[in-house]
Amino acid sequence: MGVTITPTMVGQVVISGLLAGALYSMVALGLALIYGVMRVINIAHGTLLMLGAYTTFWWFRLLGINPYLSLLVALPLMFFVGMLLQRTLVARVVDAPELSSLLLTFGISIALVNVAQLTFTSDVRSVEFLTGAFLVGPFALSKSRLVAFAVAVAITAIAFWFLQKTKLGKAIRATSQSSEVAMVCGINVHRIHLYAFGIASALASAGGSLVAVMVAIQPEMGQVYTFKSFLVIVLGGAGNYPGALLGGMLLGLVEQLASLFLTTQLSEAVAYVLLVLVLLLRPTGLLGGRAT
Amino acid sequence: MFRKKHDRLTAGWVAVLAFVLGIETWVTPAAAQSPIKIGASLSLTGTYAALGQNQQRGYQLCAKQMNEKGGVLGRKIEFVLYDDQSQPATGVRLYEKLITSDKVDAIMGPYSSAITEAVANVNEKYKMPMVAPMASTTSIFKKGRKFAFMVQSPAEVYLEGLIDMAAKRGLKTVAIINEDTLFPKATVQGTVEIAKKKGLQVVFVEAYPKGNTDFSALMTKIRAANPDVLGAATYFDDAVAITRQMKELNVNPKMYGVTVGGDLPKFYELLGKNAEYVYGASQWEPELPYPGAKEFNESYKKEFPGADLSYHSAGGYGGCQALVEAIKRAGSLDGEKIREAVLKLDFNTVYGGFKVDQDGFQVSHKMVMFQWQEGKKVIVWPDELAAGKARFPAPPWNQR
Repeated sequence: MGVTITPTMVGQVVISGLLAGALYSMVALGLALIYGVMRVINIAHGTLLMLGAYTTFWWFRLLGINPYLSLLVALPLMFFVGMLLQRTLVARVVDAPELSSLLLTFGISIALVNVAQLTFTSDVRSVEFLTGAFLVGPFALSKSRLVAFAVAVAITAIAFWFLQKTKLGKAIRATSQSSEVAMVCGINVHRIHLYAFGIASALASAGGSLVAVMVAIQPEMGQVYTFKSFLVIVLGGAGNYPGALLGGMLLGLVEQLASLFLTTQLSEAVAYVLLVLVLLLRPTGLLGGRAT
Repeated sequence: MFRKKHDRLTAGWVAVLAFVLGIETWVTPAAAQSPIKIGASLSLTGTYAALGQNQQRGYQLCAKQMNEKGGVLGRKIEFVLYDDQSQPATGVRLYEKLITSDKVDAIMGPYSSAITEAVANVNEKYKMPMVAPMASTTSIFKKGRKFAFMVQSPAEVYLEGLIDMAAKRGLKTVAIINEDTLFPKATVQGTVEIAKKKGLQVVFVEAYPKGNTDFSALMTKIRAANPDVLGAATYFDDAVAITRQMKELNVNPKMYGVTVGGDLPKFYELLGKNAEYVYGASQWEPELPYPGAKEFNESYKKEFPGADLSYHSAGGYGGCQALVEAIKRAGSLDGEKIREAVLKLDFNTVYGGFKVDQDGFQVSHKMVMFQWQEGKKVIVWPDELAAGKARFPAPPWNQR
């Protein structure tokens, strides 16, 4: 039993899709950055998102201050956590076969989820802050998702400006294009790896802080974002930064439209069918891989 | 538990002490004979640990209080309890052991439909009656089994209260959504039937996958369908997410109810004021005026200070009451005779009505519907058990 689909409904889900998509783009940009610079697929990406979400939760629970301000703490904190992970663990597998880095980051993910379960317990938490919607004509714009959209767009824009305009950003892009040439040009590639992992962790945790206000928080919440980010960077072209943006928006829209025209159950399937199609027809992703 | 070694040692020391102090002890007839052994496995560890432990406390308290009243057939009751680690396969092994090696006289059910379904084949094989308090999947009791007896209400009637209240208020349309797993699916099937019977039109039905967190498109469709009533067959996380996203997409049914999860204090804790007006289904609430329920609550708190009290505890206690009553009426421990007695039972336990049909399917126990009102669960259905009036209709989100 269903309903007749009207243009208003399509408009509504396109809005929902774009709001979700911006967040996917920002989180996936982090994954793309790590893959681009080091050829490491970070399975623990969603787990870092979960840590960001808990940072926001505790910030709100203990201090009672606007949860969005926790970004000011969570971002630098997770930047250093990311660098620490890179320095102590990930650096060891950068040039190893891909399976090594998969296993390592998978292990990091399991370990962090368990630490979270032990320290935060597996109780479901939430940040009850900005609930409800702005009603604009026939459309409802979720307040928390609208803020998440705006913040994600801003952070993504800053990240792009950084990659395009700053010396360090250029060095990161150079390292993604060719590690050897970058090294020959005098770029300290190990330092770049460190920064890249730090920035990626900060991006993931920013995603966590934003979703904390939207969905329930629990230690296993990150996994789904790892999968979605992976989907996004394959769609956009692994290691291609503008591709991550396009892929994120596309995933957001496809999920929502599939839920509308088909069912919620099929929306995930549709996203993965899309992934298979892209891999078959354009294996390097929609915008091609690795180009920056 | 009742078979721990140190219990026996303690008993031994008490006897020695009594002898030394010259206290005259007398032996009651109940203690003279060996106790009646009732076996069960429970989920004391693993996924269902918290719930299984609540059920265990129900069993323990039942045995203790029955024994204080002199036991049954002039004998004491003793539970033989094992931990099935929330695993159906382990449960099967343990029930096999209980019947063949521990030689128990009767069986109580484990926690959850899944484990009950698995172990029901074991007691059936040995013609050993099993009262199964924590299984509410209809099919378990409709497979021609003769020795499994249901205690709580089936999944199909979880939203009966919501639909009944809606029909009485003259509402016309209902939308139903569910997590796409066995139990919620059964709830949807049952709800559609009930709605048809009560003259409501079902305008929208859709399932969502387990673990789903984004309900935007689903809510957009429901808003377009504009139902008077929204029923959601949920567990917990989804019940919370759906409620939040209804607000985010401004979906405003006059009544909105969930099944499992809405009854937990955590539901209100997470949603705060947004949980107001939400209806929830419950098998049992402590304040329900069933005979003996008040005494049960008090002695439970005294016996297990600080322990969680939930419908699992009361169900365990009530199921045990039903079995003991049946043994008493049968006047025997013969499986067939106990079965006959269970089929004839029609009485109230602390858990509510108990009466099963010829298949062992529960027909008397009633679900109740509550509504969150100012942070409290107020029972609003059925009328004869209601503690307050439903706040109807729920105001639109932007007017709260």
